[in-house]
Amino acid sequence: MSSETDDVPVADTEYQHDEDGGPDPEKHHGHGRGGMGEEVKRKEDKRFITGRGNYVDDIKKPGMLHCEIVRSPHAHARIENIDTSRAMDVDGVVAVLTAEDLAAHELATMPTLMDDTQDVLVNDKVKFQSQEVAAVIATDRYIAKDGAEKVDVDYEVLDPVVTAEEALEADAPLIRDELEDQEDNHIFDWDVGDKEATDRVFEEADVTVEEQMEYQRLHPAPIETCGCVADWDPGKDKITVHLTSQAPHAHRTLFSQVSGIPEHKVRIVSPDIGGGFGNKVPIYPGYVVAAAASVVLEQPVKWMEERSENIQTTGFARDYDMTGELAATEDGIIKGVRTDVLANHGAYNAVAQPSKFPAGFFNIFTGSYDIEAAYGSLTAAFTNTAPGGVAYRCSFRVTEAVYLIERMVKVLAQELDMDPAEIRRRNFIQPEQFPYESPTGWNYDSGDYEKALDLALDMADYDHYREEQQRRIEEDADKLIGIGISSFTEVVGAGPGKSCDIAGIEMFDSADIRVNPTGNAVLRVGVQTQGQGHETTFAQIVAEELGMDVENISVEHGDTDTDPYGLGTYGSRSTPVAGAATAVAARKVRDKAKTIAANELEAAEEDIEWDRESGHFHVAGAPDRSITITEIAASAYMHHPSSEEPGLEAVNYYDPPEMTYPFGSYIVVVEIDRETGEVDFEKFVAVDDCGNRINPMVIEGQIHGGLAQGIGTAMMEHVTYDENGNCTGGDFMNYLLPTANEIPNFETGYTVTPSPHHPIGAKGVGESPTVGSPPAIVNAVVDAMAHAGTTHVEMR
Amino acid sequence: MKAANFEHHEPTSVSKAVSLLESLDEPTILSGGQSLVPMLRFRLARPDTVVDINGIDELDYLHEEDGYLRIGALARHADVADSEVIEARYGSFADTAPLVADPQIRNRGTIVGSIAQADPKGDWGSVLIAHDGEVVARGPDGERTVPVDELFLLPYDTSLDEDELITEARVPVPVEREGSAYHKLKRKTGDYAMAGVAARLIFDDDGRIEDAGIGMTAVDITNARASDAEERLEGERPDPELFAEAGELAAEQSNPESDEHGDASYKERMVEVLAQRALGDAAERAGVIERRAAP
Repeated sequence: MSSETDDVPVADTEYQHDEDGGPDPEKHHGHGRGGMGEEVKRKEDKRFITGRGNYVDDIKKPGMLHCEIVRSPHAHARIENIDTSRAMDVDGVVAVLTAEDLAAHELATMPTLMDDTQDVLVNDKVKFQSQEVAAVIATDRYIAKDGAEKVDVDYEVLDPVVTAEEALEADAPLIRDELEDQEDNHIFDWDVGDKEATDRVFEEADVTVEEQMEYQRLHPAPIETCGCVADWDPGKDKITVHLTSQAPHAHRTLFSQVSGIPEHKVRIVSPDIGGGFGNKVPIYPGYVVAAAASVVLEQPVKWMEERSENIQTTGFARDYDMTGELAATEDGIIKGVRTDVLANHGAYNAVAQPSKFPAGFFNIFTGSYDIEAAYGSLTAAFTNTAPGGVAYRCSFRVTEAVYLIERMVKVLAQELDMDPAEIRRRNFIQPEQFPYESPTGWNYDSGDYEKALDLALDMADYDHYREEQQRRIEEDADKLIGIGISSFTEVVGAGPGKSCDIAGIEMFDSADIRVNPTGNAVLRVGVQTQGQGHETTFAQIVAEELGMDVENISVEHGDTDTDPYGLGTYGSRSTPVAGAATAVAARKVRDKAKTIAANELEAAEEDIEWDRESGHFHVAGAPDRSITITEIAASAYMHHPSSEEPGLEAVNYYDPPEMTYPFGSYIVVVEIDRETGEVDFEKFVAVDDCGNRINPMVIEGQIHGGLAQGIGTAMMEHVTYDENGNCTGGDFMNYLLPTANEIPNFETGYTVTPSPHHPIGAKGVGESPTVGSPPAIVNAVVDAMAHAGTTHVEMR
Repeated sequence: MKAANFEHHEPTSVSKAVSLLESLDEPTILSGGQSLVPMLRFRLARPDTVVDINGIDELDYLHEEDGYLRIGALARHADVADSEVIEARYGSFADTAPLVADPQIRNRGTIVGSIAQADPKGDWGSVLIAHDGEVVARGPDGERTVPVDELFLLPYDTSLDEDELITEARVPVPVEREGSAYHKLKRKTGDYAMAGVAARLIFDDDGRIEDAGIGMTAVDITNARASDAEERLEGERPDPELFAEAGELAAEQSNPESDEHGDASYKERMVEVLAQRALGDAAERAGVIERRAAP
């Protein structure tokens, strides 16, 4: 559990933008109603633990058909002929769809989130292995698979291009020959920062270091794969799609745009989602095929991926080949950072990022450090591999940026023979520098990096392990010790809408609170939980703001017919954006409640006070003359003030003024078997700062899960391809995920530095551990072998 | 899982199973299903008929009898892991069982099934080699025993006939001054071995190695015997240099292939390391060398 020491605050004193000053710091564990800071047990766990979750594959409808997709065995091939006759002869096969059939309904192609155009079913040329070639619709999923095996496709196999480096060679085969003006496999160049100033800093520097590093291709691999049940209702001319979606409203708009069905005739329902991690942000061909089939056949159609289809075809993450450089003084003051990246985007430009950020938020690569000059450049290429580039449990490309800077700081420390903790301390942005504008244009909200590092060093018994490390080296012991540090800063919570959008829609979010006559309430939000615990934490925000018991608040989400429009959950944006909307909407309700209280207590409204501790309204100076929210709710419906409308509800659409910048320091101690190279975790300390904390237990769970994924990233996960473009890491036999056996005991701690612009001072947290831990692990492995001259070891 | 259609037979006795195997066209035997079921799921295996032996109670045993440790075809990996007989006297078996795949697979998968699968990455084949074990097979012509050295031909291919069923795997009951061990290098729980080495040593009254057995996992086209290393050990007194030499000989005799998880030279070096460690543990368990110091 969390470590609490005297110098670590457990909650903040200043409650954001709220006239009553916020929760009392002396009573930081809340008021006993399940508000801010309380370890409320997750409301959603009852149904998950007892097997009563309701996932897309649990949806069954009368007359439902099943869709199986025929996929290309080749990475690069021209389709010469598709013969569906043998498949149609299979008893139970209802239809076989090809690109030609979709073209008749103007559904042959679909836009990616980066405005590229992807074939729904291959029209002419296959561009990656397992690409969608045809679809078989049958009465059950076994028959659909039998039918898919009998679709005969003739291919002319072409030379594939597998790596970004090969793709950019002058004589590389052209992958996207269907695009006019596309003469090579180059997608775009991007750069950021002041090149001249950075070059100058490097020329004048005492010391420069450079390292090549690969952030290998990963897959989010949620336990629930992607799928949908599309159900066209010819009576209402309306389609309902149960969809594995992290962003139901955005998907409704996209569905409408792709299909031509008016948006008010499209309903997206995202039921329980078994993990998303960015994989369920894009639209995939299977969804479009199932919807098209349902419209044509006028029957519900289910499409559910197999595991290998998920890994081999849906949004991958990372795949950045990076060069990092630092310029510094002899004392270890970092003066400049320079980076160049080669990005493999696969066969289509389908990265899931705000459209104005082709390289995502990679330009946060100056990290937690106050660096004079920075310059970054990136080239993206098409290859014959699956499209992707999703934000796998991170804000867009922040993971790659954090890896780069945290690895480079370690490289510099080795070069200068300095302690990696000390070199960080010398370069941290200082608390008084916030709000801090970075040389690549970010506006950091708040931070106290040294405090988090000091706590982590203390918890990790850092000095002891440094001594032990030295002893092992001197005694030529069988097992070496390595200590790795990562003092990362994340940037999460997109919007603001003026700079961040998905397919043109601004990245705001929303909350709609309705208090019932009997005093309980329903909160509807525009974000969609996939395991983050929104049904609990968002209810806690309402409980805090309205003085209600958390048990009396239910949170609804994921149904576009009833929930307010929102942009969905990814990039740790739910608490920063929808959490803010929830607080603001609750305060609107409270304002109206105050009016009603004045009416009921027969006092002037300005004489009514709200007591956060009790959750009651009372007349100033007369605490006995009080009224509860339950009583107010009844009044709102039964004898509302004549000056007001009946009812007690409010809606807020929240456009954040800035993003939030959670941070932390992770320290990993590894023991390495000198003979086999096996790595054991000896100690794993994670100190996080996500501002004001809503539910410490939920945060703890999020940190544990993210750290496990960080271990998978650093130690085993890798989507591999052979030279023919065959995906050789496309199933769980070969794409290795860590299990409980590979996960060490985590020791977590925290500091609290609230976000100054967020209504409850909170920052996002779910992704910090995935982002922050891989460099700590790699730094530890390198550190164990540094005495032998090792400066870098690749992950995977 | 979306397997292709197949016919499922559930015999309740070995004789019924054998007559089914004889009469059916290209039948496939299902025991624990931990290799077959994933292959059915990928439709890599497309049998017309499956003979499911899980209902044959007479095959569910694990005990010592008539000088052998006898492992019935339905003994699961978890049975070995939980067995007191194994824990007391069969170091290599006790080492191997908890390293096979993951707990779920160990609850269903069988030792005999794993051997019959003849996957060069399977662990039990190496253990059987180290112990000079054999399998008992029943076919239309009755029962025969096949020594492990004559069993494995190619990956997934054994010398058994299609209508033969392995009913038992067995190894001689350990003698006095015998010890065995298994060391395995894997990337994670549930993963196959990158390399594995099983070793068994029998010492004479004088403390010299009388008989050595070494089996290797995942470093050749089948589980393989490190015969050069065995020969080098026999007649010698145990010491670290001897084991290092034996390790080198085992590595020389191995033929690993490079893959995503390690190149061939690394795997050869690992055979050397794992062989030394397995031999050290075997000697220690035989009671002829002192317990080595902790790292």
